[in-house]
Amino acid sequence: MSLFLAAVGFGLVTAAVLAIAAVGFTLQFGVTDVLNLAYGAVMIAGAFLAYVLNQAGLSVWAALPVVIVACSAGSVLLNSRIYTPFKQRGASPITLVIVSLGVTLIIEFGVQALAGGTSVSYNLAQGPTLRAGGLILTAVQIAIIGVSLVVMAGVHVMLRYSKLGKAMRATAANPALARNCGIRTGRVITTTWAITGAMCGLAGVVFGIDAGSFSPTSTDVFLVLILAAVFLGGPGQAYGAMLGAAVIGIATEVSAAFIAADYKYVVAFVVLLLMLGIRPSGLLGARA
Amino acid sequence: MNTPTPRLTPRFTPRLTRPAAALGAAVLAVAMSACGITSSSSSGGSGGSAGGSGGGSAASGSALTVADVAPFSGVDGSLGPIYLATCYGATSAINAAGGVLGHKLACKSVDTRGEPADAVPAVNQMFASTSNLALVIGCTSDEAASVVPIINGRKMVSFCMTGQSEFAHVHYPYFYRLVPPDLEEAYAMVAIAQHLHAKRVALAFGNDIGSQTFVAPALSALKKAGITVATNQTLDLKATTFRTEASAIVQSHPDAILTEALGSADPTLLAEIKQLNNGKVIPIIGTSAAISPAFFKSAAAALGASTFAANFHADNLVTESSGPAYAAFSKALLSQQGKVPGSTGNFTTYLSAPGGVHLYDGINLAALAMIMSKSTTPATYAPDIIKIGNGVSGAQLCYSFAACASALKAGHAIRYEGPGGPTNFDSYHGSPGIFQIDTYSPSGQVNVVGNLSAAQLRALAG
Repeated sequence: MSLFLAAVGFGLVTAAVLAIAAVGFTLQFGVTDVLNLAYGAVMIAGAFLAYVLNQAGLSVWAALPVVIVACSAGSVLLNSRIYTPFKQRGASPITLVIVSLGVTLIIEFGVQALAGGTSVSYNLAQGPTLRAGGLILTAVQIAIIGVSLVVMAGVHVMLRYSKLGKAMRATAANPALARNCGIRTGRVITTTWAITGAMCGLAGVVFGIDAGSFSPTSTDVFLVLILAAVFLGGPGQAYGAMLGAAVIGIATEVSAAFIAADYKYVVAFVVLLLMLGIRPSGLLGARA
Repeated sequence: MNTPTPRLTPRFTPRLTRPAAALGAAVLAVAMSACGITSSSSSGGSGGSAGGSGGGSAASGSALTVADVAPFSGVDGSLGPIYLATCYGATSAINAAGGVLGHKLACKSVDTRGEPADAVPAVNQMFASTSNLALVIGCTSDEAASVVPIINGRKMVSFCMTGQSEFAHVHYPYFYRLVPPDLEEAYAMVAIAQHLHAKRVALAFGNDIGSQTFVAPALSALKKAGITVATNQTLDLKATTFRTEASAIVQSHPDAILTEALGSADPTLLAEIKQLNNGKVIPIIGTSAAISPAFFKSAAAALGASTFAANFHADNLVTESSGPAYAAFSKALLSQQGKVPGSTGNFTTYLSAPGGVHLYDGINLAALAMIMSKSTTPATYAPDIIKIGNGVSGAQLCYSFAACASALKAGHAIRYEGPGGPTNFDSYHGSPGIFQIDTYSPSGQVNVVGNLSAAQLRALAG
């Protein structure tokens, strides 16, 4: 029982990291219509930027704003310099997916060329370990959950109450109609890349903190988990991504406690496939 | 009043009518990416790159290529640079001594990513694109089963770092190894557990071929040693955290952990165990693969160098740390400090890395066999490797390429004995060594703290 509760607690931490990444990914996909598989590579580039700053003497938390700004700017550039020119030439969505794969390899191997192929760790004290019932979490893990909750609340407020959020939703639903209604969709899309890029950078750093040790290719499998959370919740659905992240995060850790640990991702994907079999549009996706 | 849930309905969705289709496309694309690319690069370090396909005799004066077929990326990506460092060291010493039959030697890296699916095309590409290929080194347990038949089929000599037992039963004429079967290394780990007076041990091995090969013999040896298996965790090397596995290990209260999970897996697991165990580290027993600068760097970063050094033991093949063979080896290897692509951490750790030592011997044996047979063609020089390694009646003992080459040119029969100690090839071209117990100092220096006798290992054999 204590292992089960501990696994649930660990699952919440995994879900917290996954939620930040998945919500950013699904917002990006929903508004910009680009299935950007380079998202994981930008995450790991952000994690390594934080590592460099950390090695230079800055605390990881202090490095966080720098990474957020860098990844935000990088994502905007990624869109304006790579994806948009392809779109303007009439590239199909699947072509853009392949382009994003190419970008992934360029970023990952670029990071590997600069940082080496070995894994690295932040200089970061985990703080005291807090135990409640069977839950065992460090202060840093609780901080990660807290950061995730703040981000989720921020996304909720933005989408529901801000003009930008409404414009993003309108652009996602029907860009032509949104333009005719006076929404500057180009600017909305650029802003979306900036916001989701910032979330990507944040996700990269908390991923690095949570993993403890990471390498340039560490987000390869994590990207699959992000996709799983996004599609489990329903593509383009911010709240669905949050829910999907919670399900995937907890399912992986709890299954590791009771089934052979190396099958934990298999269990998560069985859950995903079952869910998509029942609701092809995802948990919160619109019914076809 | 209920407000509607904000939705972002992507325009992309209607085109792919079902999210499952989009997911399928995305996962397929990610899988393509995960399969990745294999790469090879020539390292001109010691004479430039060569040309021509392997197996034939090299044109006079052209460079001969030694290919390091090993993981340079992926979870076992630290192994390739170890072997490359030794290749640079060995070939630089050979070239300084005049080379082989008028040829200089050069090294080339061939990245297998530690995956058979990537290794096979990488090796095929190597044969298609490499001129004057004279020798293959590396081939770890990750890829050996899939690439050795190909390399052997091309009649190319290989010195492999695989302990897989199948190579003690199937005869490959061009395959050589200077490392023991993995099951003996598993026995060595259990012998270290006995040495540490452990009564309960946890097993935490990666889910790759190279790591899983230790599990069954370790379980059998633990039973024979009367040591309880507290828990047996298989780690998905691509996972990013192992908290639940770490929690299961801590809750099973082991006296020691037997582990091999390379890449970021072991450092992450060990840090999480420390965190869940109130800051206390459970003694760790690793394999010889953990004796590498990259592993030390990662583990030390995750646990703290002093903490890791104080709690870590590993088995390692006995290698010399003094004497003429070691002197030549250390001089050759250390001369390449700062020149080897991908090398990281404390370069002196390479002096104790099992791959480094034994592949240095392998390159020297092959080069000397070329001189003895007066041919760079593998099919011609291969049989002389055993004559030089095992020695023939009246053979003169020598300890470096330069000394051995001089003796050969003077018409003497030789027996080469390098820093890996005496060689005794069996009919399957395996030459198992004996084991020692290694630890690290907080600076990453490797220390030998004990030896494991053959009798100790026999007592644990199934």
